[in-house]
Amino acid sequence: ENKHEEKVQDPDRRDNETKAEMGSKTWADLAGEMKMFLWNPEERTCLGRTAKSWGLILLFYFVFYTCLAGMFAFCMYVMLLTLSPYTPMYRDRVSPPGVMIRPYLNGFTIAFNVSQPSTWQPYVDSMHHFLAAYDDKVQEEKNIECVSGQYFIQGSNESEEKKACQFKRSLLQNCSGIEDPTFGYSKGQPCILPHTWHCVSYKHECLLLLQIIGYRPGAGVPVSVDCKVQKGNESDLRAVDFYPGNGTFDLMYYPYYGKITHVNYTSPLVAMHFADVKKNYLVPIQCSLNGKGIINDVNSDRFLGRIIFTLSIGK
Amino acid sequence: IQDDHKLSASELEEKYGTHINKGLSSARAAEILARDGPNLLTPPKATPEILKFLKQTVGGFSILLWIGAIFSWISFGIQLSQGAESAFDNLYLGIVLALVVILTGIFAYYQEAKSTNIMASFSKMIPQQALVIRDAEKKELPADQLVVGDIVEIKGGDRIPADIRLIFTQGCKVDNSSLTGESEPQSRSCDFTHENPLETRNIAFYSTTCVEGTATGIVINTGDRTIIGRIASLASGVGNEKTPIAIEIEHFVYMVAGVAISVGVLFFIISVSMQYKILDSIIFLIGIIVANVPEGLLATVTVSLSLTAKRMAKKNCLVKNLEAVETLGSTSIICSDKTGTLTQNRMTVAHLWFDNQIYSADTSEDQATQPFDQSSPSWTALSKIVTLCNRAEFRPGQENLPIMKRVVVGDASETALLKFAEVILGDVMNIRAQNKKVAEIPFNSTNKFQLSIHETDDPNDKRFLLVMKGAPERILERCSTIMINGKEEPLDREKAEAFQTAYMELGGMGERVLGFCHLYLPENEFPDTYPFDTDSMNFPTSNLCFVGLLSMIDPPRSTVPDAVSKCRSAGIKVIMVTGDHPITAKAIAKSVGIISATSETVEDIAKRLNIPVEQVNRREATAAVVNGMELKDMSLQQLDDILCNHSEIVFARTSPQQKLIIVEGCQRQGAVVAVTGDGVNDSPALKKADIGIAMGIAGSDAAKNAADMVLLDDNFASIVTGVEEGRLIFDNLKKTIAYTLTKNIAELCPFLIYIIASIPMPIGTITILFIDLGTDIIPSVALAYEKAESDIMNRRPRNKRKDRLVNEQLAVYSYLQIGIMQSVGAFVTYFTVYAEQGFLPSTLLGVRVNWENNAINDFEDSYGQEWTKYQRTYLQWIGYTAFFVSITIQQVADLIIRKTRRNSIFQQGLFRNKVIWVGIFSQIGIALILTYGLGHVTALNFTPLRFQYWFVAVPFAILIWVYDEVRKLFIRRYPGSWWDKNMYY
Repeated sequence: ENKHEEKVQDPDRRDNETKAEMGSKTWADLAGEMKMFLWNPEERTCLGRTAKSWGLILLFYFVFYTCLAGMFAFCMYVMLLTLSPYTPMYRDRVSPPGVMIRPYLNGFTIAFNVSQPSTWQPYVDSMHHFLAAYDDKVQEEKNIECVSGQYFIQGSNESEEKKACQFKRSLLQNCSGIEDPTFGYSKGQPCILPHTWHCVSYKHECLLLLQIIGYRPGAGVPVSVDCKVQKGNESDLRAVDFYPGNGTFDLMYYPYYGKITHVNYTSPLVAMHFADVKKNYLVPIQCSLNGKGIINDVNSDRFLGRIIFTLSIGK
Repeated sequence: IQDDHKLSASELEEKYGTHINKGLSSARAAEILARDGPNLLTPPKATPEILKFLKQTVGGFSILLWIGAIFSWISFGIQLSQGAESAFDNLYLGIVLALVVILTGIFAYYQEAKSTNIMASFSKMIPQQALVIRDAEKKELPADQLVVGDIVEIKGGDRIPADIRLIFTQGCKVDNSSLTGESEPQSRSCDFTHENPLETRNIAFYSTTCVEGTATGIVINTGDRTIIGRIASLASGVGNEKTPIAIEIEHFVYMVAGVAISVGVLFFIISVSMQYKILDSIIFLIGIIVANVPEGLLATVTVSLSLTAKRMAKKNCLVKNLEAVETLGSTSIICSDKTGTLTQNRMTVAHLWFDNQIYSADTSEDQATQPFDQSSPSWTALSKIVTLCNRAEFRPGQENLPIMKRVVVGDASETALLKFAEVILGDVMNIRAQNKKVAEIPFNSTNKFQLSIHETDDPNDKRFLLVMKGAPERILERCSTIMINGKEEPLDREKAEAFQTAYMELGGMGERVLGFCHLYLPENEFPDTYPFDTDSMNFPTSNLCFVGLLSMIDPPRSTVPDAVSKCRSAGIKVIMVTGDHPITAKAIAKSVGIISATSETVEDIAKRLNIPVEQVNRREATAAVVNGMELKDMSLQQLDDILCNHSEIVFARTSPQQKLIIVEGCQRQGAVVAVTGDGVNDSPALKKADIGIAMGIAGSDAAKNAADMVLLDDNFASIVTGVEEGRLIFDNLKKTIAYTLTKNIAELCPFLIYIIASIPMPIGTITILFIDLGTDIIPSVALAYEKAESDIMNRRPRNKRKDRLVNEQLAVYSYLQIGIMQSVGAFVTYFTVYAEQGFLPSTLLGVRVNWENNAINDFEDSYGQEWTKYQRTYLQWIGYTAFFVSITIQQVADLIIRKTRRNSIFQQGLFRNKVIWVGIFSQIGIALILTYGLGHVTALNFTPLRFQYWFVAVPFAILIWVYDEVRKLFIRRYPGSWWDKNMYY
């Protein structure tokens, strides 16, 4: 009889024990276990390892990761060896060119009130700063005069330093800031410079059109710029003047040979003088490049071969 | 309400329009079946399917992904209100995450439904049968075809197929425990004994079991109208205990979720303190969670388990519960039946003794000849007695079957003798026809012999031949001479002693021994016409001539010794539990290796040293044969002592109840116990066991219901196969998980480096999902097909507590070694892509803010070229694709190294598992499709990739392979070393 009872009780007790093991542990138990795991004073183990064991495992990982890092460095080194320092291996993702505008302060809305100089002074300052590199003196000093209307192709030696063509600020005439240091802002006729190629960096205020090494825009025919109202009344934008010429990027400024060899390269600019824009009104304007090989109608990239910005000129 | 128990048989016949001897007509039965429906219980209301599905979408990792999705939507809301352009990216990401959860939920739900179906189909494969009289014929019908009015016959071991009013019983007892909870068998008769139909003895209830005896009765209720169908509480509320593998998987989910959450939170804090915006930090958190969660893994595990279940089913192990597949693998003790499981379940002649010599006979399953020396005339005489003094006959119409497979009408010994004679002599029935039987006294327990008198087949010999067989000592008593080499010699003391020795020797082998003698009746005394009278015995039954002895045994199955030795080397203790005699049990145990040749029991040692049993040092005896009678008087301590101290144990003459005690004893030792059983009474032991194994052929329905697994061929060797499969799947799941976890690091590192070093994002969240649920799925399932590493059956069963599915070594090796290698390889590709497009690595550091600024459209690269935002984004997608491709390529190497954990890949064979190659090709195929096929769908963030970028990570893939080979080499070379302890998972 006794034995029978024992037999019946026993499994129950064991069940309870296993249940306790399986997870209905109290928090105190858990905390105690955790503490023991963190530091077990009896076996002098931390996180289940003794000092020696930790030492060994850390040494192992040190060696292991050092080797891996070495291999990584070696791979990168070999990879970099295969690259030319002057020209990237592939230029398919960066051409055809995109376009940027100057002045660029915070976004693609240029808004100011003619009567309040403080609203347009930042734009003017920005233009002056940007055009400093195009000062006639600087250009004459550093760069050479080139033959207009043809690509300026220089020696086949990649590492040789390349000469850059002069792009004098005075070419921008009304927008040069020489005759009218306010670039027309004070008259409500702002100059905006869409520029291809060289902008030194996005940190500075340059004009537009982005530079691509070796790219020859227009395939022999200069690329030109035109602007129109994007979505809206065409008559909002009545007169735009382009400088230099008819708003073309002269071929002689191309190709660009990269910042290492083409040190003094200054991107050619096209300035747009918005002489007659509807006032007190947000006018969305799209300026596009036109030329062979230029793409300006991709939906996903609104800066490829065109630029969209808004003019808002108040009295 | 019903008063069928009060009615007489004829009233019942009238009421149900049936006939006790003829039963219903098939047409009438079909009519009633159409009216009442099949004899099945409507299954208890299952959990609504939608609930089951919802459960799948919140369990496991899903909750983490939901959190990710919700965060995505929150940041979408915030960004939308701030008017950011990229807001919709987060909306889509949230939707994708939710879709992933729902899709994996659907898959898990489908798998569960499928495995339920497998179980359902299993129970269909072993349908309950009922013996029914219809159209005046006995028929075996599936029990669900029974209708009211059917006449059914039941016998011991059957489950009662419906509510039955008994009209004929013979020693019938039923176990009503499923109805009343009382397990004491109750006797059943035809008499009306109680007003209450539940109490009266002449009704047997559906789903109870007939323990012994036979009975015939009329079906009075079927299906839901049966008593048990009416009891609503039938719903089987047996709480399912978690199987070992379920616990392991839970442990693993906790571990991975723990890593995901802690890394996520850690980097959330880091990014906040690095002055990222909270919103950005949340987006990083989502990325980290998605990278850390192996979305496809749980589905993979289920698929692997069901693949193994299918494979086991092919090898005659039907698994009723998917997770039991693995339980079998961790089994450390098997308590096995003897009869039918270890043995062939048929008596077979094992030894002969004539001419003073013992001959061995072939006892294998497919014997066609007997190799012993058959030239002696004594054998001719003996064979004649064996042939003639035998009432067993083959059922007609089996001439084409092998002799051993033919069905015989007759008892076990006679069957053995008949088959034995048939194998050696050929057509026994013809020999009997030529030696016409004139008189016969069948065997009875008082005589202990069987005798018959025949004419001889020699036309010139007009004598009658009297042949007799029986218990050897009784036969010898009746003999005065003995045949030696065909000559009758007087039976002197010396010859009698030789007989005794042989008899003892054969008996000592646990065999059933029969003696054979004959006498040619003198022609003059017994002429043709002599009227033999078996009642008065008007013929001599003494002074006969002794011819020889035959001994029989139920021989072990030929596959069993091998299987037992496999178990032994696999560290599994095989305990024999049988109702048989200890001597027979021990003999069989010895012949199959449960007791090995060299080990001795306490009694053996006592006999060898010639000392009393009490003086023997019990520790010296490795084997033990425990009698049921001894077991009865043992305390639990003593039993534990025996189970602990003896490695080879046989329990003989045990009752089914004692089997339960033995199982519990084994479990007290912390063992995972597998129990085989066939009888109704084995059910408790089967249920108690960690894995109950029922016999498919001999097993009763009750046993099959209680068991987790059914052996279709009743063969012990199949269990070993099952153990092997179970261990294999455990190992292979380890490999699958190791494979899957590895690339999580390669998915996680980009986020961490992106946050810390502010480089352009190396891999997108959606891309990660394409790895986890695209390229990696088939390869990880393919690992389930991996063959065992050679040592699988040579190691001890796993320790439930210590040998976890996912242990520290596995996680550390996958995460911190291979995973990091993969990350480095992928980063090399990433930097290569950017560098070749103009962004040298040095330029990339710290550019994140400007890189991601939509307004900056003249971003300068290392060469002075200027990039618009979209151009950069597209480049970023090329980076994603390159990173993705690198991970895929390195996962191929990872897949190959995961084929083994210890052996070299070259030992394992690179091409043995063809499915792995299917996995590799699918992986690369999917990557090709994503890259080149879907490369123009911008929403997926894949782009066509320059061909050479597929190979940038190849050196690292090779490094992974080489490194792992070195790891395995050191593990094999220096077992137990620091390396082994830290590197073997």
